[in-house]
Amino acid sequence: MENGAATQGEGKDPSGFLSEIIGNPVTVKLNSGVVYKGELQSVDGYMNIALEKTEEYVSGAKRRSYGDAFVRGNNVMYISAD
Amino acid sequence: MADAREEGTAVSEPLDLVRLLLDEVVCVKLRGDRELKGRLHAYDSHCNLVLGDVEETIYVADDEDEENAKTVSRKSEMLFVRGDSVVLISPQARPF
Amino acid sequence: MASQLLPLELIDKCVGSRIWVVMKGDKEFSGTLVGFDDYVNMVMEDVTEFDYSGNHTKLKKILLNGNNICMLIPGGEGPTGPVPSS
Repeated sequence: MENGAATQGEGKDPSGFLSEIIGNPVTVKLNSGVVYKGELQSVDGYMNIALEKTEEYVSGAKRRSYGDAFVRGNNVMYISAD
Repeated sequence: MADAREEGTAVSEPLDLVRLLLDEVVCVKLRGDRELKGRLHAYDSHCNLVLGDVEETIYVADDEDEENAKTVSRKSEMLFVRGDSVVLISPQARPF
Repeated sequence: MASQLLPLELIDKCVGSRIWVVMKGDKEFSGTLVGFDDYVNMVMEDVTEFDYSGNHTKLKKILLNGNNICMLIPGGEGPTGPVPSS
């Protein structure tokens, strides 16, 4: 994906981007600043997120790990493809 | 798209993960540095929850020793959680 | 009557170019707008996240929740102007 002209259909709009990154490692940042890193299992229209092999970071430091984690969408600031 | 609506193990949408946790002991993170551990009896699409045998933990800010700064505030036999305060639901967390 | 440009049409014109996003809180993002939906959830590439403390973090590609967006500035490179690439 070297060319910057973002005209490829896949991953263009939010739902396309999400289907493109399902199964991939992602970083989810919440409005509170807490960060979750894990494998993206699924997302729905509310931006509820299911993660696998999740690690929790609070102000940059690893706090905990969760096997699976459900994150309620209203807390999500962004989902980043790693 | 395959229909995984039954009592299967497929996670095709995030709330399916919560469905798989029914009758299990779960860890629920809430807004305001609160945490609940208890058995998940019921949930709905708003993430309203009914938990049984619950232990509520409130984390009090303490820069000195963050790991020991928690205070177990109360235990309840059964409680209802309003969905809008839910941040995260997971099976029993392992401390890192 | 002069044709007026709807807000979302303005955002649509920004697809493919740099955009500066100011959130309701103290946070700001700048990056290339890849796409967006009716809620103004936005897919952005080569993003810089600006913290309230002045730190910035680089992100390759993100989906930004539209819920907490306050303001969008076409062509903006964030609060510091163009960021030296590292």
